[in-house]
Amino acid sequence: MVIDIDRVLGPIPEDDVASADEQGLLAELDRLRIDLACVVHSHALFHDPTSDPPRTVSDRLVRVPVLVPGPLGTGAVPARLVRLCPAEHRFALTGPHGLALAGDLSDQGTAVLLGWGSATFEEIHHLATRYPRLRLVLIDTGYRSLRELADLMDAHPAIGVDTATLNGHRSVEWLARRYGAHRVWFGTGAPVGDDAGPRFQLDHLDLPGADVALIAGGNARALLGPGRDGR
Amino acid sequence: MNDPDAWRGRVVDAHGHLGGWSGFAIADTSAESLVALMDRCGVAAMCVSHLLGVGPDARAGNALLLAELARWPGRFLGYAVYDPHDPEAPGRVRDLLGEPGMIGVKLHPDTHRHPLDGPGYEPAFAAAAATGAIVLSHGEHGSPWSDPARFATVAGRHPAVPLLMGHAGLWPSGFAAAADVAQRCPNVVLETCGSRMTARHLARLVADVGADRMVFGSDALFLDLRVGLGRVVLAPLDPADRDRLLFGTMTRLLEGAR
Repeated sequence: MVIDIDRVLGPIPEDDVASADEQGLLAELDRLRIDLACVVHSHALFHDPTSDPPRTVSDRLVRVPVLVPGPLGTGAVPARLVRLCPAEHRFALTGPHGLALAGDLSDQGTAVLLGWGSATFEEIHHLATRYPRLRLVLIDTGYRSLRELADLMDAHPAIGVDTATLNGHRSVEWLARRYGAHRVWFGTGAPVGDDAGPRFQLDHLDLPGADVALIAGGNARALLGPGRDGR
Repeated sequence: MNDPDAWRGRVVDAHGHLGGWSGFAIADTSAESLVALMDRCGVAAMCVSHLLGVGPDARAGNALLLAELARWPGRFLGYAVYDPHDPEAPGRVRDLLGEPGMIGVKLHPDTHRHPLDGPGYEPAFAAAAATGAIVLSHGEHGSPWSDPARFATVAGRHPAVPLLMGHAGLWPSGFAAAADVAQRCPNVVLETCGSRMTARHLARLVADVGADRMVFGSDALFLDLRVGLGRVVLAPLDPADRDRLLFGTMTRLLEGAR
């Protein structure tokens, strides 16, 4: 099973995209042989994270709530996987409100998608030190960040990465061999990022089949649990 | 007909590199690791320059490139990096283009901080014109050194030189400008690599300029070969256009260069 851990549903401001609606997104998933996608709605990313985004219908889409801490935020919600966007939504990841939310998420066992460009190395290190059981999946890490990722992943066993823009030469293999495939998640970041490249890469990884299966969807299935809807 | 895997074993990657880079870690900089990935995903040959040459030392980088071309005949084809600040570069590039496996010249105006249409690169274009070589230049929309408009200028000066616009302008905001230059300049060919390129952008570029005016490039081992290749293989393209991108257009250019 292939599960895209990092996808956006809905229209985006910078382009006309097939995944502007649910039907279009499902057609893209079919074309690329992706079984399930964890989706953040574009309204929550680019409009107002404190408003409820449109509901999804398909059981192939797992809604990922976008959370904002503090009295002007969303508060914690019961979910297996959420996303935090401190830079985009202008809150301090390691301020008092951010730490309180992170503590709640850690206590309830909720994993967090966190954009590499949305927080600093120091903030991530601080957060992971304060809450060592909080599972952080760093997304959109790019091809230049391998040394910094190694620093964080050596220090914090609960930190993982997705493959969306992890497109340095053999970076996926290096991370999976050093830290274990249980810390690497297939993701695309589409449609802001490219989905075709990471999907093809997944089929051509130079790793044992069991490791590829974890990256492709095994890690995500274990996280999402039997209900698969993340709630 | 329309075998979805017909491209395997035939791909010619128009934009690759050997060696390491200063700005970030590359997990394995060996040529062996790159050839292994080429074998894994069906890439027959990769046209490469050495990153030491793209960076601080074109002379040493080009020497390392020649050694790798000799070690991997047919798998790697070479671009000699042209340093516009090296007073001996005009003579050196002519010698390099006569070496086995060399197919062209690599220009990186942003690293060398010299505009693509500046006087420092004129000897490189002259050498390419004289020898039938291909020129691949970094292309970056909005850059003071390698904006697509500068490709139009040099393409007009050297209409017989096949000029590959690396990254097709690099940024999504620049793809339209790159396509416009390719439409106006018959010798400009768009090359597809870049971390911001998506299969969606790529399909639009093919619709705008035609797959016979585009070549697949990966930027490996700067980037992961499989990501760039997959972007073409899994793009919503007609199989004939896909094959032109993956090997057809570049094969035609290489036949002209030999």
